[in-house]
Parts: sequence; structure tokens; C-alpha cells
Amino acid sequence: QPPPADSGAGSSVQSSETFQWKLVTSWPKNFPGLGMAPERFAERVNKMSGGRLTVTVYGAGDLVPAFEVFDAVSQGTAEMGHSASYYWKGKTPASQIFTSIPFGMNAQQMNGWLNYGGGMSLWREVYAPFGILPLAGGNTGVQMGGWFNKEINSLEDLKGLKMRLPGLGGEVLARLGGVPVTLPGRELFTALQTGAIDATEWVGPYNDLAFGLHKAAKYYYYPGWHEPGTVLEFMVNQAAFNSLPADLQAIVEIAAQSVNQDMLDEYTSRNIAALDALVNEHGIELRRWPDEVLVELRKAAQLVMAEEAAKDPTMKKVLDHYQAFQQGVGAYHRISEDAYNQIAHQE
Amino acid sequence: MVGWGLVDRIDRISERLGQLCGLLMLLMLLLAFLVVVLRYVFDLGSIALQEAVLYLHGALFTLGAGFTLKHQGHVRVDIFYREWSPRRKAWVDLLGTLLLLLPFLGFIALQSWDYVANAWARMEGSVEAGGLGLVYLQKSLILALVLTLGLQALAELGRNLAVLLDRESRP
Amino acid sequence: MMALVLFLCVCLVLLAGFPVAFVLGGTALWFAAIGTLTGHLDGAFLGALPNRLYGILNNQVLMAVPLFVMMGVTLERSRLAEQLLDAMAKLFGRVRAGLALSVMVVGMLLAASTGIVGATVVTMGLLSLPAMLRRGYDPAYAAGAICATGTLGQIIPPSIALVLLGDVLSSAFQQAQLKMGIFSPRTVSVGDLFAGALIPGLVLVALYMLYTLWLAWRRPQLFAETEAVPLDWPFVITLLKALVPPIGLIFLVLGSILLGVATPTEAAAVGAFGALTLALVRRQLSAQALLGVLTETVKVTAMVFMILIGAALFSLVFRGLGGEALIHGLLSDLPGGVVGATLLVMLVIFLLGFILDFIEITFVVVPMVAPTLLMLGLDPIWLGVMLGLNLQTSFLTPPFGFALFYLRGVAPPSLTSATLYRGVIPFIGIQILMMLLLALWPVLATWLPERIYG
Ligand code: NA
Ligand code: NA
Repeated sequence: QPPPADSGAGSSVQSSETFQWKLVTSWPKNFPGLGMAPERFAERVNKMSGGRLTVTVYGAGDLVPAFEVFDAVSQGTAEMGHSASYYWKGKTPASQIFTSIPFGMNAQQMNGWLNYGGGMSLWREVYAPFGILPLAGGNTGVQMGGWFNKEINSLEDLKGLKMRLPGLGGEVLARLGGVPVTLPGRELFTALQTGAIDATEWVGPYNDLAFGLHKAAKYYYYPGWHEPGTVLEFMVNQAAFNSLPADLQAIVEIAAQSVNQDMLDEYTSRNIAALDALVNEHGIELRRWPDEVLVELRKAAQLVMAEEAAKDPTMKKVLDHYQAFQQGVGAYHRISEDAYNQIAHQE
Repeated sequence: MVGWGLVDRIDRISERLGQLCGLLMLLMLLLAFLVVVLRYVFDLGSIALQEAVLYLHGALFTLGAGFTLKHQGHVRVDIFYREWSPRRKAWVDLLGTLLLLLPFLGFIALQSWDYVANAWARMEGSVEAGGLGLVYLQKSLILALVLTLGLQALAELGRNLAVLLDRESRP
Repeated sequence: MMALVLFLCVCLVLLAGFPVAFVLGGTALWFAAIGTLTGHLDGAFLGALPNRLYGILNNQVLMAVPLFVMMGVTLERSRLAEQLLDAMAKLFGRVRAGLALSVMVVGMLLAASTGIVGATVVTMGLLSLPAMLRRGYDPAYAAGAICATGTLGQIIPPSIALVLLGDVLSSAFQQAQLKMGIFSPRTVSVGDLFAGALIPGLVLVALYMLYTLWLAWRRPQLFAETEAVPLDWPFVITLLKALVPPIGLIFLVLGSILLGVATPTEAAAVGAFGALTLALVRRQLSAQALLGVLTETVKVTAMVFMILIGAALFSLVFRGLGGEALIHGLLSDLPGGVVGATLLVMLVIFLLGFILDFIEITFVVVPMVAPTLLMLGLDPIWLGVMLGLNLQTSFLTPPFGFALFYLRGVAPPSLTSATLYRGVIPFIGIQILMMLLLALWPVLATWLPERIYG
């Protein structure tokens, strides 16, 4: 069992009291995968609490815009949010690390770090000044490298590559001569189709197929070095959480845990059929990043991470902790998961 | 008269702000065009530049709202209004400003104060790695809107009052 | 209940003639106060105000508004627009309503170069309304035609409405198929909706034109006198001089999108820059006039955005006072049959279009109903285009038709609001007719995507 949240004993109000919570998200309502987590969370909490805590889910833009979820939970407009912590980099740079960093840890390793490696208490520490309690809320697994209309055969091909690649990944690309472009998601499809950009990343086969990116690009690159194990988050307004009796607090935590595992399971399963459809029905060309390119990207990523950490002490503290764990788990996984995968899944 | 001096002074401020916004508009246009040229012709991109365009865009209509009010640029449903006498129009505008516009602005300020203050407290920066990182300034534009529009609303109030008190008619 | 009273009150207060943006925000605030005192208001909705205001400030797509407005003002102040329309009116002089038809063609091209209704209506209003009025066109017809043509940006791709609908529908379509046990689902993307909307959009323009021709035949007095200008060389040269620059400009904007030079938002910057360069090179804009163009752009932009800001508080209060429950109540029990369910949804959305803007409807209403409709077997592309047409109509319907406000904001004072409202009614009728046509022949929307994407 993961360690329980050190959230106080919970108020000892009479157990018949009912609570109505709002949960705002950064995804469109019913968004496949990511957007199902808050829906399932709400469903499970409503059921487990016997209706004492009912959670209503608001899609992006419904109550607040997608990137206002953090502020909305912090100020108590909504009791909960579902999003990804790297969106809050502007508020506290360390938040990026709890989602995913270029060449960082995969899903299994992130769950290990967060739940038993001390990562979660660092996350709570980082969010505490905002009055927000974070809970892991899903994982996409290793994402795909993105959709390209230009082939990447050598480092040279990265020069001038116009790619929508947000966050740290974009900064890494820029170091190798790429041109990270910021685009509203709304213009992404058109921009890729007309050639205003050469490439974009999205999530993985299941989401990418649903978004229809195969209709706007030819090559599908792997692996997603920029997001190797993206953790989604539930945010709970700390005051609202404290006002719950202890049993409802436990229900919130357990429901979040179940959803956290659930999303990874769903992606693992659904990506299979989606990739098959992309390759065999839609004739997409699947490409692996050339080794030479991956090696240089990784070097650039280390440089970028070190620079970012030098700017912010909290970021440095969290990153050091993260990297120590990654080193350890990396050594172990080389002789366990990796060694096994290499043998077991050879074609 | 003291009252008139104040109205005139606010009018001048709004006029200056309007001209400033005009220059911001020109700057925004040039930078937005530069983004396209840099990317298409030179394969160069700058997230900071793209964000600068967005900030200018926001500044344009928040700082320019008072100027627009001074020039009667905020659209009305004038089915009846256009037929009414100057006195009656002044009544509508006086009451509208006191009961609708000023409370609305006050409410925006009240609701947004903490929101903006929090952004300042953490010197909130960009979501993007190469971003401009002045989100706290961009968010402050919400309060700037309240200030510029609110100020001009006071001037309009003075003008309406003058019509109703039957003073010499002023521009 | 209180939500509806709020709506009615805003309509009444609007009639007093105080600026629309402040009436929307101010009246909503009074209701928020009453709702809070009587315990009828869900306060969380008010708390979302700063988030929504910042959302408006930080919306990259809306940057197209000032840029497009500037293009329009530049063309107007430098008299390039006037020369263009004069020339076209002479060219089509043989046909009554020739100028109106020209305006519709220009509007269609503008619609193809931006997806923001505020931008197209304002630009169209600046470019063509004065020319039409000066030539003695019936003001109601002219205003209606410009408003309707201006909202074409919503249905002719690229279009923000279709992009948002694409987001919401692709999720709903996945959801519907998963519920039916289909795990390798078909998909619908923004590209499908763009392709699907193209033919209905063009048919709609054709309908506007047919209506105009019919009107010119039945009631010629609504249009300008015919002037027969002989089509000789001097005239052809004048014509080309007037025609080429602005039309070239519009194709520059379109071309920069289609060739991947710029995104649709950035293309507005290309257009404004082009207009400015053109006006300066042809010495049709002095430095003093340039300052006038810039401040006019600021004025119009602030007008447009203040309406969005006022509407932000209005819709939050509307929902906090029970509008949310009202919508759920109307839509939670859809009738079983696909025809009945679709009709009800379209009717409710049409009616909500009087009260809420299209973004609110897309985010709040569509996710509620779309999975059910798609499970009943509706084609997602057809549904998207149908919703797009329906939402486009909401821009034209008084009292909260934003297109009406925008046009009123840039129209000469001689045009009254009442005339404007009268003028759009036939065009709303045409919109409804178009929806009927699409209902009878879904292939209008589904044929092209099928051809492009298989
Ligand atoms: Na991603
Ligand atoms: Na369009």
C-alpha cells in the first residue's frame, strides 16, 4: 500500500453530512483516456460514499479554461481538478518533474518513486504553498515521438524542424537547431496539414488516432523521449479536503489510486488496437528515431535539466532526488525489465 | 471649475492611452508579421516573441477600453435611445454608469485582486521553456482594464451631470 | 427560473440604450447579489470570473480580431475598399443588386481566410456598408446581408466553431463507440469537419445570392439604379487597378494559410501588414491617417472584447442561478427515435443561441447530447456541420446576436438597431432552410470528407 496522505485526522463531523464537489479538468469532456480518469473517479467516489460525496466533472472551458485548473482549485472555486503538473511550471518550476521530463522515468518507475521512493512527499511540499493536495491521477505510459511530415534520418534533419513540442522537450529540440512553435491546440491540425509546422507531438496511438492526426501527417516516430511516462494529477483544495470526515478522505484517496492504475491499464490495452489500425488501415509509416539523434537529444536534455535546476532551488532539490532514484531503478531495470523485454518481445 | 478640470484631465489621459494603444497595435502587427517571416524564411522561432505578441494584444483592449468609452465606441441597442432628448440620454448614461458599469468594474476588481496578487507573489512565469515569463504583468491587465475604464466612466458621469444640471453644453 | 428572469431583464435593460457590454455584466451582477442573498446562487460560478477573464486575455486564436480589424480599417480609410466596390458595382452594373452580389463574394473569401466571426463582421461592415448605403441600397437589406455574410466565417473553413466542435465531437464519438463495444473505433477529426462544412457553406452563399436576385426581381426599389458602363479598355484598366490590390490581398491571406506559410491566426497579420504596405506604397495613407487607423482599430477591438468580458459574467451568473439545471432538464430525457432526438436537440440549441454564445453552447450542451445522438447512429460529420450551422444562426438572432452588436458598432449612426434586426430576419430564414436541406440530403456534408480521406 502506498503511504497514506499526511492530511490530518479529518474533521469528526457527523457522518450523515453530504458534500457536493466540483472537479474541473484540462481535457474536453469524455476525452479518451485522459478525460476518462475524472469521470471514473467521480463515479467511484459517488458509489463508495453512498452519495455522501458527489463529484460533478466539468470539461475544459466549461467552468474555467483548461489552463486555469490549478488557480481554480487553489482559490477554492472548484474543490478538485484533474490535469498535468507540468502546466504549472510558471507558478513553480519544480512541478514539471512530477509529470514527466525528457529521458526521465517510465510509468512503472514513476509510480515507484512517487509512492515508495519519497517523490509524493516532495510533490506535496511543492504544492502546499498553494493550498493544494496533489494525488497521482493516471499515467499514459511511454508516449509516441510524434507526427512528422519530414523524415528524420540524421541530426541535420532537426535543423529548422518546425515542431509543436511544448515544455522542456521543446527547449531540448531548440538546442539541436529545431524550431519549437507554440500553437493553440485548436490550430494544430490545420497547421500540420498545411505545412505551417512540420511535426507535432500528441499522446500515443489511442489518443492520436482519435484526434485524426494520421490525416495530416505521414510518419509516426517512436519512442516519445520527451514524455516517457506522463503522470496525470488530481488536485484537491486542502481546506475542502480537511473539511471531509476521515472516511470520505480515505475514499477520495483510494478512488484516485484506483484511477491512477486504471489509466495505465487502459492505455496499455487500447494502444494495441489503435496502433494496428494506424499502420494497417491508414498506412502510416512507423519510424524509430535514429540512434545518433536520440544520443544527442539525451545529451541536450541533461544540459537543459541542469540549467533549469540552477535557476530554482526547489527544482534542484526535487530533480536531485528524482535523478538519484532514476539511477538506482535504471540499474535494476537493466537486468530485470529491460533484459527480459529484449528477449521476450523479439520479433 | 474644479469639476471640469478633472473631467478634462481624465479625457486627456484616455486620449493619450488610446494613442499609446494605437502604437501597441502597430508594434503587435509588426511582431506578429516578424514571427511568420522568421519561421517561414529563416527557419527561426522564438516562443518569447510569440508571447510578446499575445501580451500586446491583451494590452490593446484592456488599456484602450476607456478611450473607446470616451469616443462612444461601446455599442448600444439604440432602438429608443437615438430618439431621446439629450437630457434623457444623460439620465440613462448617468444611471447606467452608477448602477451597471461601475459596480461591474468594482466586482471584477474585487474578484480578480487575489488572482493577480498571487501571480505577483510568485512572479508567475511562462508555461513554455523559452517563454517571456511575464505572466504576472499580463494578468495585471485585468486590473488595468478596471482602472482605465473606471476613470473614464467618472469623466462621463461628470459630463452627464452637467447636462442634467443644465450647464453650458460641453463636448 | 431566476436564470430566465435574468435573461428577460437583460433584454429590457438593453432597450434603455446603455452599452451592451456593461448591461450584460452589470445586470448579471445585480442578479448575482440577489441570488447570493436569497441562497439561489452557486457561488463557485462567480469565482471562475478571473479565470475566464484571463482566458480571454490569453487566447491566441482571438489575436486574429485586432489584426483583421486593422486590415479592414486600413482598406476603408485608404479608400481602397471603396474603389474596389465601386469598380465591382460598375462591372456588375448590368445586374440589379450587382454590388450586393460582389459584397457576398468578397465576404465568402474573407470567411475562408479567418474563423472568427467578430473579425469578419467588422471587416465586412467597414468595407461594404458605407458603399451600399451611399448607392441607395435599402439599409435593412444591406445590414442583413452583411451580418449574414460576416458570419460565414463560422461555417466556411477554417472556423473556430468547427474546431471546438471537432474537439468535443471526436471525444463523444469515441465514447459512443466504446459504449457500443467497438474498441477500434472510427474517428472524426477537425479535418473531416472542415471538409464536411465546405459544400454546405458554399450552398449557403448560393442561397444568399439567390434570395438577393429574387429580391432584385420582385422589389427592385430596394437596390441601386442600374448604371450601364460600357466595357471598354479605359474602364477595364480602372477596374483592374481597383480590383487587383484588395482581391490580391485576400488571396495573399488565403494563400499563406493554404501554402503553410502561416497559421490562420497569423494569416491575419499577413493581411494587415499587406493592407498597410499597399496603402502606404500607393500613397493613400498619410502618417496622420495611419494614427487614425490605429486608434480606430483599438476602438473597435475594445468594443468587441468588452462584449466578450460582459458576456463572461453574464453566462457564469446565468448558469449559477440554475441555467445549468434548466439545460440538463431540457436535454436529459431525449426521445428515443433518432429524428425526434435530433430535432429536440437542434431546437434547444437554436433557442439557447438567443441567450448564450456559441462557445458556451459547445462546451456545455454538446458533450451532454452528442454521445447519445451518435449512438443512435447519426454521422458525426453531419452532426458537426449541422451544429455549426445552428450555432452560426445564433450570431444573427436578436437580442444577443453578437454579429448584430459588432455591425452596429461600426455602422454609421444613420443605421438604426431596429433596421438591423428587421434586416437579418430573412437571412435567419435562409439559415433554417439550409439546415432543412442538410437534413434532407446529408450527403452535402458527408460526400467531400469521404472523397478526401476515404
Ligand atoms: Na504528449
Ligand atoms: Na472561416
